[in-house]
Amino acid sequence: MFLGRVVGQVWATRMAQDLAGKRLLVVEALDERRDPAAPKVTPVVCVDPLGTDLGERVIVAFGKAARVACGGDGDLAFEAAIVGIVDDFEVPLAPPAWRALWPGDAPPDAAGGPG
Amino acid sequence: MLIGTVVGTVWSTVKDPTLCGVRFLVVQPFTLSGESAETLVAVDPLGAGIGERVLVVFGRAARHMIGRGHDVGFQTAVAAIVDRMELCDGRCIGPVCAQDTPPAPPRA
Repeated sequence: MFLGRVVGQVWATRMAQDLAGKRLLVVEALDERRDPAAPKVTPVVCVDPLGTDLGERVIVAFGKAARVACGGDGDLAFEAAIVGIVDDFEVPLAPPAWRALWPGDAPPDAAGGPG
Repeated sequence: MLIGTVVGTVWSTVKDPTLCGVRFLVVQPFTLSGESAETLVAVDPLGAGIGERVLVVFGRAARHMIGRGHDVGFQTAVAAIVDRMELCDGRCIGPVCAQDTPPAPPRA
């Protein structure tokens, strides 16, 4: 599981039946060691059963946990899902960029919360 | 799951018997910075072509895609062929690289 930020959405027509009608979001992992401008970040595509908006911080689960969170019994053609939308976080090591609505934006004021 | 571009095909004759009749693709993962990441091999039950953008799944999800409930000796598979991906920086990623649109100018 990891903490990430929703940075995009994916649409497809030709796909596994299990994915039909599922909202697919692109999530960038938030990593305190990584410079936000560092290259080579492969974003994870997640099924979204919660109705997450772009820019929100989320908790992502993998494997069977992800399939169960989407109401499956384990035999579904996906293995990553958003299982929680983060209200707020307190991570002393977190760089200010974690609180920016979009990667590359200036973070909001300390009083502004995570947006 | 990740998004990647199909960059090639692999053929194999001597292989695990559970992999007979499957098609192997070489997929280059999509990165936010546009830099190239390490390629991976995925079984393709959908018929994606070179240059197309695909959604790759791993583990049991991939075995489910390939084997339809049977155990197979592979753990990476194509689960969807991408029509469009929109990113929050305004970029629109098309089904092939030639149809990508650049990021929007920085917001005021």
